[in-house]
This record gives sequence, C-alpha cells and structure tokens, in this order.
Amino acid sequence: MSFEPSRRAFLRTGAASAAVTMSGWFGNLARAATQGSAKPPRACILLWMNGGPSQMDTFDPKPGTDNGGPIKGIDTRTPGIRIAEHFPKLAHFSDRLAIIRSMSTKEADHSRGAYLLRTGRVPGGPVRYPGVGSFVGKELDQPDAELPCVVSVAPFRLLNPDAYGPGFLGPRFAPLVVAENNIYANGNPNAQDIDKMLKVQDLDLPAGVSANRGVERAAFRDEADSEFLADHPGRAGDSHRTAYRRAEVLMRSKAVKAFDLNEETDALRDKYGRNLFGQGCLLARRLVERGVPFVEVTLSSAPGVFGGIGWDTHGENFEQVKKLCAVLDPAWSTLMDDLSARGLLDTTTIIWMGEFGRTPRINQSKGRDHWANSWSTVLAGGGIKGGQVVGATTADGMQVKDRPVAVPDLLATLVKAVGLDPMKQNDSLIGRPIRLVEPTAAPIKEVLA
Amino acid sequence: MLRMALAWAAVLVWMPRMEAAAPARSGPNPDAVALAARIDKALDAAWKARKITPAEPATDGEFLRRVYLDLAGRIPTVAEARTFLADTRPDRRQRLIADLLSRASYARHMTTVWRRLLMPEADSNIQFAFLTVGFDSWLRKQFAENIGYDKMAREILTVAIDQRAQQQIFGNDITKPTPIGYYFAKEVKPENLAAGSARVFLGLRLECAQCHDHPFASWTRDQFWGLAAFYAGLSGRDNGGGFVTPEREVGDRREISIPGTERVVQASFPDGGEPVWKFKAGSRQTLADWMTDKKNPYFARAAVNRVWAHLFGIGLVEPVDEMAGGQDTKVYHAELLDELAKAFADHNFDLRFIFEAIAGSKAYQLTSRGAGPAPLYSRQLLRGLTGEQLFDSLAVATGQPNVLGDDPFAIYFGNQDARGQFLTKYGRQSGKPSDHETSIIQALLLMNGEFVDGATHPSKSELLGALLEAPFLAEKSRIEAIYLATLSRMPTERELEKADSFIGRAAAATDAQQTRTEAIADVFWALINSTEFAFNH
Repeated sequence: MSFEPSRRAFLRTGAASAAVTMSGWFGNLARAATQGSAKPPRACILLWMNGGPSQMDTFDPKPGTDNGGPIKGIDTRTPGIRIAEHFPKLAHFSDRLAIIRSMSTKEADHSRGAYLLRTGRVPGGPVRYPGVGSFVGKELDQPDAELPCVVSVAPFRLLNPDAYGPGFLGPRFAPLVVAENNIYANGNPNAQDIDKMLKVQDLDLPAGVSANRGVERAAFRDEADSEFLADHPGRAGDSHRTAYRRAEVLMRSKAVKAFDLNEETDALRDKYGRNLFGQGCLLARRLVERGVPFVEVTLSSAPGVFGGIGWDTHGENFEQVKKLCAVLDPAWSTLMDDLSARGLLDTTTIIWMGEFGRTPRINQSKGRDHWANSWSTVLAGGGIKGGQVVGATTADGMQVKDRPVAVPDLLATLVKAVGLDPMKQNDSLIGRPIRLVEPTAAPIKEVLA
Repeated sequence: MLRMALAWAAVLVWMPRMEAAAPARSGPNPDAVALAARIDKALDAAWKARKITPAEPATDGEFLRRVYLDLAGRIPTVAEARTFLADTRPDRRQRLIADLLSRASYARHMTTVWRRLLMPEADSNIQFAFLTVGFDSWLRKQFAENIGYDKMAREILTVAIDQRAQQQIFGNDITKPTPIGYYFAKEVKPENLAAGSARVFLGLRLECAQCHDHPFASWTRDQFWGLAAFYAGLSGRDNGGGFVTPEREVGDRREISIPGTERVVQASFPDGGEPVWKFKAGSRQTLADWMTDKKNPYFARAAVNRVWAHLFGIGLVEPVDEMAGGQDTKVYHAELLDELAKAFADHNFDLRFIFEAIAGSKAYQLTSRGAGPAPLYSRQLLRGLTGEQLFDSLAVATGQPNVLGDDPFAIYFGNQDARGQFLTKYGRQSGKPSDHETSIIQALLLMNGEFVDGATHPSKSELLGALLEAPFLAEKSRIEAIYLATLSRMPTERELEKADSFIGRAAAATDAQQTRTEAIADVFWALINSTEFAFNH
C-alpha cells in the first residue's frame, strides 16, 4: 500500500493567507482549529439507511414470535448479544458496537423523519437547521483543509433536500456530494460506473481546455473581477471568491486523489463489496484518512431492490432486507476492520441509522410499514463503549420497555463521542444563537467511552 | 402512496409553457410615479434626520440589469440592453419598469417567487412536487392578468374542498389552474394552514406558539389555535406514506381542540377581534373577509413589505414573516410602510402598481457601489441570484432562450432538461438573497460544468459563433458585445484594454487563429464566472 499517512496538505501560502484575511468568521475558525491541533483529528461516518430499516430483522430480532417473522438470531462475539442472522461478519465486531434498541420518535413519514433524524429538530418551523454532517463537519473543520469538511456519498435527497443541507450555516458547510442518487438513477451500477460516480463532478477542466489555459482564464477572471470587488467590498463578494478559491484548490489538490479508488488493492475492494455502498464505505475510509471530519454513505439499493428508498419494505420485507444486508454486512465490517488496522477506529465514530423503524406487525404483503414508536440505531468505534445493548422493547416489539431514547439524545451522544460539546452555539442569521443539539438532549452516558 | 404519485406523474407528458399574453400598457402609471416621489420624500427626511448620506444614483447599466433580474427574473438580452442604453428620454426608466411589468416574463418570475413562499413544501418534499402543476399555472394566470392580491388570497383561502378537488389533483385536468394543491401541501391540517397563511398573508409567525406560549414571542397558544379553528372543518385522510387527501368539510365549524389536550379554542383573529358570523358564510369565508379587508392591520402591510424586500433585499420590517410580536423584529420605517400599505389597498391591491412605485423611486435606483453598512436603504445591496435567475440569465447571456423551458414534470424524469439538471446541482435557494453564500459545488458547476462549457465553447455556443464569424466586427466591438451579453453594460476603457491585450497575446502563438478564438471564448467564460455576473447589484 503506497499511501502516505499525511494529514491534510497545506494550501499554497498565498491562497491560505488570502483565505484567512477574507473575513472574521474565517479567522475565528482558524483560531479554533489551531488551539485543538494537538489532538488527533476526530471523524464521524454516518451509514444512512434510506427508507427506514426494519429493527426486527436487523438489531432487535424476535425469533419465534408472531411479529418476529422467519429471521433467526445469531450469537456475536459479545456473550448475550444476539443480532439478526444477516450479520455474520459484523457479529465479530460487536465489542465495538453499542446497539440502541429503544429509539422512540414521533415522525413516521420519510420526509419528516429524515429531517428529524438528520438535523435533530422537528420539521416545519421557520428556522432551517443544518444537517448533522454540516454542524459536526463545521466544528471539526480545519482552515488549512483542501477537502471540504463534509462529504455525502450516494445520498437520495429528493424526499427532503433540507434534511441534507447546511441550513443556516450556509453553503460554505454544504456537503460535497458524489454519486447523487435519484429514482431514475441505476441503483446498482457496474464496477466501472461506480468508479466514475464516486468522483467529484465538474472537478476536471472541460475537454479541450488545457491546464495552462485553465489557469490563464481564471487569472483573467480575477483581474476582471477586481474592480467590481473593490467597488463592492463585503461578505457577499468575499464568500463568492472564497468558494471559487476553494474549488480551484480542490481542482489542483493531491488530496482529491482520495476519490481515486483504483489506488486500493482488488482484494480489499472485493472485501468491501463491488457495489455503490461498499465502495462508498471504502471512499469514506480514504476521506477520513485524509482528515475529512464527516462522511456519510447512503445505502438505498441492492441487487434486486428498488433504487431510492430501498429500506422502505412495505412488501416482501424479509427478502428485501436480506438483499440489503448482503451489501451492508461486508461493507460495514470491512470498514471497521480497515479503520482499525490503520489506527483510525478509535478516532472515528460510526453511526448507523435511518429515518425510522418498521412495524413489528407483518402486513398482508409480507411487508412492514413505517414505525417510529420503538426501533433501533447503532453507534460504533471512536468514543463509544462497545459490547452493549441500550434499552429494550417488549416481546412483541410494539413498545419501548426500557430507557427510551429521543433523537436529540442520540445526536448529543454522537457529538460528545467525537469530542464536541452539544451545547455549543452557532449564530443562526435570524438573531438567536442556536445550539448544536436541542438543549433538552441527554447524552446516553453509558455508551460514551 | 408515494410510489403511486410518482408513477402517476411519470406517465404525464411535458406541459407546454403557459405564456398568457398580457395587455400592453401604454406607459408609466401617474399614480405610481406620484407614490415613488412620496417614497423618496420619506426616505430623504429619514436620511437627513439621521445624517445619512445616500449613495450615488445607479448608472443606466446598473439599473437595467437590476430591474430585469427583479421583474423578469433574468438579465436583458444584448438587443434589449442596446435599446435601453441608447434611449435618451428622461422617463426611460419609468417606461422600462412599466414595460417589464406587462410582459409574460413578469408573470413567470413572480410565479417562481410566490410559489416558493406559499408552497415551500413542493421544493422540500417530492411527494408534493406534482402539486405545482396546477398551482403554478394558477399563479401565473393571476400575475398575467394582474388579479388583485386580495382576490388571489381570497381564492386560496376559500377554494372549495370537496370530491372534485381530489379529481382535479389526480384526474385528467391536473394542468387546470387551481390553488387547490395548497391544501394538499399543508396536509389539510388546520395548524399547517394557519401557520402558512399567517406567515405569508399576515407577516406573522404564530407557529412557535403551537405547543406552548413562547418565551420569545408575544403570541399565545390560544391565539395560534384560534386562527387554526377557522380551518377546523377540514378533514383529510392519510393514504399511507404521509400523503393526505382532503375528504370533506364541515363549513361552519368554529372551534378546535388542541391536540393532546382537553382544551377547546374558539375561532378568533390574531389581533384579538371577534369574528362576525354571517348567515350561511363558512368559517374560511369569514377568515378571508377579515384578512383581505382594507382595514386589516397586517394584510396590505405584509404584502407591501415583501415587495419592498424583493426590490431591496431587506424589508421595511424584518423578518418579513415576523412583522409583529417577534423577539428580533426590527422596524426600519413604519410610516413609509403604512403609507405604502394604504396606497396598495386604495389601488385595489394592485401588485403591479406597488412594484412600479417602489422600483420607480430614486432609492431603488441608487448604486450598490460602496463600503460599510447601508442604513435605511441608502445604498443598494449585493443580492445573490436564485438558481432560476442564474440559469435563465446564463441562457440569455449565451444566446439560448430555447432552454428556458419550464417543465413542471422535469423532476420525475430525473431532471433531464438542462434547466432541471442545473437547478438540481446548483440548488434552489430559499434563504435571504442579501445573505447569499456560494458553495464549492456551485463554483465547480459554473467553471467546469457541461452547460457553461457548451455555452462558452467557440464551436458549440451560438452567440459566440455568431460573434466570431462576423468579419466586419472590430475586436473592440466583439469585446463590447461580450460585456453587453453578460454584464449588460459597456466595458470601461481599462476593461477594454485588458481584454484586448488578453486576446492580442494569441497573435504570438503557433496556431494564432485557434488561440485567438479560444482567448475570446475565455473572456466570455471569465465574465460569466465573475462576481459581477453572480449577483444582482
């Protein structure tokens, strides 16, 4: 493996100093990052299960009951913890997993649920809240970074774009999106297409424009722009120029090689799984390695599963979940293994979740419908005390029996696990400062390492 | 249900653009000109009292670009720019404003703007996107025919909710203009309808009080539910997956129980007024009577304030949807707002009239050049373009008006048309334009993306091709044409020189002709990627 274990490369001095003098907010960031630079950088990987995964068939199996269906449980490395039979590989990493079986929320609609889980806020109010990727990415961002602080792999944003956005934090903290998914995209592309999809779009100069010409025309633009900017000083123009500057740094960046998965061995790529999610998880590791603080990878399709909201298993739930898990199990377990081998698992927190769970009762189409009352999420890796289950549901799965967990509690736990204060405030542009997570949040103390 | 709605929409065909012709107007409206003068008098007095020196007047080029972006949603074409810049009549600006307000592009742009206000759900939830088909064509009709704002609001507030409503949404007449989609987008919930109508029509943000009396705002929970009670007769059915269809309406229901409580609240107006129930008038009619009354303390002010914010980037009261009772509410010029609201109501809530008056003021026509704060509209601000404004301006600048298609179903076909693809990547912004920020993805899209590349490619771009092939054009005229096409103004002497020398360097190259062609294309590319192009200024 020829990877050079560098952190983020530094910008060329000129660009860096120009960026820092841009405006106050940039300067503040720079100071904050310098103060924290002694510690190893923390990161978070969100494995987003689009459509709402079935808890009964993943992390809260109830074999032998009416609601349990045909799914069997298997033992894990941790005595007493059993998960669905679909996870033979992940079972070996149970010592790093904290399984939360007592999620209890109130939004059972895709759009509203996604907004709630991804921002930690109830949808519908006047404030546009940032997604967890943006607000965590912003806090962990480093001003010398060539790569953006949040990257989103294969998101399916159509149902609620706001749930994926930077909200009031602004486009500066918008995720860099690769392999955007939509209902007409092929959810199961071939290997070649996957490599192409996982690259940053519009990063290369258009065909026929040489590198030299690219530099010259950009220089001419800057010169042509200078009069206008001198006449109109202020944040708006600065932000525009900063974005162009950062885009151009990215175009020239070596760090952007992270998106070139061909640098990896075939054996490792096979182990992750030659599908969009598997290769997306490999990309996540490569980005974290290069200091990107937040990466999310969406699993929304698998061979034979509707592309888009694959976990929305209203019909043929058991077959669909099996197919999705056949993608999820190798990808997730290899990610844990790979991060661990590189010494990154202790500083990288993984969170597995969807917008809600699914009905314990099985419907007439052998499916399960939307269910927010009692369902599961998983935290793993850095900052998390693994080998435990939090909370429990009743035997029929219909109620949380013990230790209900609300969304702000879950996100506050994640935020603390990556070393941040959930009560940190951001300016919201509407005058009121707003905390990272709702002040009512109580982090799940027992899972914090 | 979600998949059904998607599949349903997918079988529908592309709807042709609705370009209803508006009656041509002969020229400026004298009443609007008079009101513009009163705006300037009020601001002059305020500036004097606070010792504020206003900025210089905008040049014709600055004004031209601004007024096109604000009233037509795009920059002017080269021909339109040349015509205006050659006009020497003293009232040329007033004439242009009146002309723009009578064009189809005004109705098109206003439809985008007001739909985003009235039905933001359609942008954020794909299940609601197809509702825009009937709603947008209804809105466009209102603006094209210049229907009074009170009548528009009344139709939204009182449209019949019955079995036919459902047929209209799912039936063959889906393209028929109707505001009915509004109720589907609000999920037929009284609380959503109350919050939505309060925010847009009254400029009030009551929903914070939905769950409890809010510590920051003066609205109480009872006031919120008192407004919601006017919609209490509506009921809908969730067909699964969160898509609610209206079922029937008990037209005269006047009370509502607050969910999760024992408390029942009677219908009441937010200003504390008691409704006067007329014989046989439904609750929603009673609400509409109060809301659109000339004496309503909020209705005209909220509308006028939004128009002001549309033209200045900042309202006379901010935030525009929290004009009273908010912790952070700032009132910049209460008397001017009152005067404008009164004039608006006296002119039968004529939106074109109020646009014409405000855009005709000297304040609107100040330059955006200058540093530091610009209190009390003493200088125009840089305002970011919406994705739609940017794409439409790119299309105009690069001579491709044919891509200005407006396919309401584009989203279902994976946004395959150029505009849809561009908007999907660029994002449909809904934040305050004066707080605009640019993202890396947006910058990459504009620098290297397919649309801009094609539009600035010497052999693919029609405008550039025509420019390059015109043998009679001197280099100087070519550069002027590029400036007019992109920045809607003539280049300065210095700019002309710079561009000329940039292109002139090509003469030394081995393939001089090819290099020169590329250099001209690069000048074009550079201006499209300039900060000046990216902003309304």
